[in-house]
Amino acid sequence: MVRFKNRYVLCEVVSEDPRCRQCIEDRAVGLAVRDAIGRVHGDFGLACCSISFTVKYLNAYTGTVLLRCRKDSYRLLCSALPFVRQLESRNQRYPCFLNTLHVGGTIRTCQKFLIEYNRRQLLMLLQSCTNEEERRCVQKSLLSCSLTEEQCLSGNEDDDDDGTDTD
Amino acid sequence: MAGFSDLNIPQGPDKKSMQGLLETAAHLGYSAVALNHVIDFKEKKQEIIKPVSPSELFPSLPVVQGTSKRIKVLTRLTLVISDPSHCNLLRSTSPNIRLYDIIAVFPKTEKLFHIACTTLDVDLVCINVTEKLPFYFRRPPVNVAIDRGIYFELLYTPAIKDSTMRRYTISNAISLMQICKGKNIVVSSAAERPLELRGPYDVANLGLLFGLSEGEAKAAVSTNCRAAMLHGAFSASQNIWELRKNRKVLLCFTSTETGLWALWMQPKWMLCFREVPVSCE
Repeated sequence: MVRFKNRYVLCEVVSEDPRCRQCIEDRAVGLAVRDAIGRVHGDFGLACCSISFTVKYLNAYTGTVLLRCRKDSYRLLCSALPFVRQLESRNQRYPCFLNTLHVGGTIRTCQKFLIEYNRRQLLMLLQSCTNEEERRCVQKSLLSCSLTEEQCLSGNEDDDDDGTDTD
Repeated sequence: MAGFSDLNIPQGPDKKSMQGLLETAAHLGYSAVALNHVIDFKEKKQEIIKPVSPSELFPSLPVVQGTSKRIKVLTRLTLVISDPSHCNLLRSTSPNIRLYDIIAVFPKTEKLFHIACTTLDVDLVCINVTEKLPFYFRRPPVNVAIDRGIYFELLYTPAIKDSTMRRYTISNAISLMQICKGKNIVVSSAAERPLELRGPYDVANLGLLFGLSEGEAKAAVSTNCRAAMLHGAFSASQNIWELRKNRKVLLCFTSTETGLWALWMQPKWMLCFREVPVSCE
């Protein structure tokens, strides 16, 4: 079967500065990753990885990024991800790093992993809830996270609570 | 399956920044970290102080992401030796040295590398990544070190910070790989700030850059670190019978409420047992 095989890399942007969240946009992240690949693997690596390279999904509240590349060059991409040190957009630079969560062959597997991961994060948030109101919100979103046909990736987290945690 | 560990987090004076580092490490998924205290003999004569107990420094340890256990904090001592007379400190069994969980040595010359691999009682030998190695690795001392259970440590934070360091790191690492064939390698950060830490999956991918295969790279962050911690636990024992440096035959492990106990046989049929201060997963 002739089909282009891709790899989808799910990462999380970890930063100390809470203002970095607003800087997370697809162009900034794409540029930062390409720059890191260029620095580590040179022109050859950059050319190989950028054949089918895009940022497929981005969630600024939780800092989740889904990147796509060709299966032949995903090793070059994955080995260059630790070298991303900052995100730059609108002339603002924020130091941060990318933590790779999962590498999958399809968007669906990454989505399943992300749901489980977010459920665990919500459980940890539940333990550190101070307010009864927050507790109810978190519990409601915990009960509602599942993989249904029409649900998109962004509908699985409770945005209000996740915006309050700074890492 | 052993959890991920990071065996080199330099001990800074600021408690708050160490707490930040620990929280980032727990968020990334590391189940154990080791606080590193570096002693350099070239500077003025330094005393080896007793290790600060982690429970005093950090009243509450963060929970590791993905499990429900707290992160384990060990203590580690690194001796930077550039002269054979510095090794006497290790041989003289000063009582403070044995209180550290892991002992590492950083040899600066070829002769010292040979001595560290063959005779010194250490757990880790650090490989210089910040400058071109003044000596080439040779097979005999590296093979002896692998047999004795000594691990070679590579740092990755200098590679992330600076591009010339990156070249030295990769060239030194690949020359080590060609001699040791990827066995007994531990990759750790020397992160002073939380932003310099990287997750264990990313560190395993860095291992691919250094010439390790995928299984070896994953082991460098997980099983090899755990084995280095166990090696440190055995050799720092204070039993009635004195531990010799030759082979110890491990008989069994039992796990009780107080922790993991190891029973092993010494040369001349002497038996020893000791509690191993690492968590079992």
